[in-house]
Amino acid sequence: MPPATPGEPAPSQAPTSGPHTQDPAIPLSRPATYTVKVPGFEGPLDLLLTLAHQGKIDLTGIAVAELARDFLDRTKHSLDLNEATEALWMLATLVEMKSKLLLPKPPPPEPLPETGESDLPERMEERLADYRAFREAAEALRALEELQQRIFVRAAEDRPSELLLEGVTLDDLFRAFQDVLARARRSKAAEVVDEPVRVADRMAAILAAVARTPDGVAFRDLFPAALARVTTVFIVATFVALLELIKERQVRVHQASALAPILIMAVRA
Amino acid sequence: MSLDQAAPGVEAPSAVQGSPDPAAEHAQDASLRELARKIESVLFVAGGPVTVSRLANAVEADASLVTRAIELLRERPGAGLLLQAVAGGYQLATRPECAEPVRRYLQTEHAESLTKGALEVLAIIAYRQPATRGDIEQIRGTRSDWHIERLLERQLIRDVGRRQTVGRPVLFGTTELFLRYFGLGDLSDLPPMGDRGVQALLDSVR
Repeated sequence: MPPATPGEPAPSQAPTSGPHTQDPAIPLSRPATYTVKVPGFEGPLDLLLTLAHQGKIDLTGIAVAELARDFLDRTKHSLDLNEATEALWMLATLVEMKSKLLLPKPPPPEPLPETGESDLPERMEERLADYRAFREAAEALRALEELQQRIFVRAAEDRPSELLLEGVTLDDLFRAFQDVLARARRSKAAEVVDEPVRVADRMAAILAAVARTPDGVAFRDLFPAALARVTTVFIVATFVALLELIKERQVRVHQASALAPILIMAVRA
Repeated sequence: MSLDQAAPGVEAPSAVQGSPDPAAEHAQDASLRELARKIESVLFVAGGPVTVSRLANAVEADASLVTRAIELLRERPGAGLLLQAVAGGYQLATRPECAEPVRRYLQTEHAESLTKGALEVLAIIAYRQPATRGDIEQIRGTRSDWHIERLLERQLIRDVGRRQTVGRPVLFGTTELFLRYFGLGDLSDLPPMGDRGVQALLDSVR
């Protein structure tokens, strides 16, 4: 077992770990990732998804588009990329489920013969107990995760889970991207979508740029100087291409200090 | 060798009392300390966890002696580094109470924690492995594709085969990185399911 850390402040008090506050007395009451309020339901989004999945909430009566708009509004104030992408996935799943509900259904296949309904409540009860046990186990894993995140191993060559970001967080990168996007919006009156942009092409362009410049390409130079000339889709695709290259460990990102430019560099083979 | 007799109850090799031959004991201690220094050097260059057998190969000593030397290394309260038993081996790592200066030096603000949903899916896979997408969704009562994809991407789980039933669904299990990510020696180190196991763990960590 890992050593205990008496007298240590709980990692949740670190300023960066927003959603991780916890009351040791009720370890399972970690604040919900993202809460929503719709007619007939108010609570965490993941619960809404679960209830909709089980047919306990009628999705056809819920305006998912409004949920999405609320979500986007909220990400303008604060954003935890991890939580936000999860919420986005849940919203997309809701949209998919709702669209299926709205489509005319083919006649259901003949009902399974073995379904004796008598033991259904028992099985539900059993499943709920199972789920509760796993949620507790997940809490325990969270505690181990928090401890292990305070323990560092000398950087070896093969750390596949490590993103290649030095001195830069994903949030920094995202903020830099938002700046570019905002500048682009200011610099153009209207937008005409002329031709499709492919992420693969943008990836190739970034790789070519970093290959030419071994000292690193500044983040803003990944985008054309005259932002008015390119579409928003082009900018977004370029950013997605960068993220993809980081994930594939083809480039790394380095920032010497908080105000220094964010540099993109090729990963030496 | 008399070392082998002492091996099972390894506690504090240097504190042997009532030994028939103090001089021989002293010599053994010295050689064990030397072995410990060699092991520490190997662990330093390795970075990640190293198994006892690989350590034994490197330092050219019996596995039982290596294990004793490791115990010696683990009992150094003043040391800056700790020896952690992880993923079937041992690794040198920084102490959790020194996390802040290390983070400042590395300029890493925070590691990316798993979301609550991802942890739930991971817990189900860890305790039930191998488990299919269907197993997971049945327990959680909701879709879990996104979480499974993220966990695969972070290499905390992997495809370990297919269940020989209708549709031959993919089976998922945890990886070696999973053990390292949570600081577990092996899967038997997972906290026991149920209130007491979890509570005991939370108490020991916090």
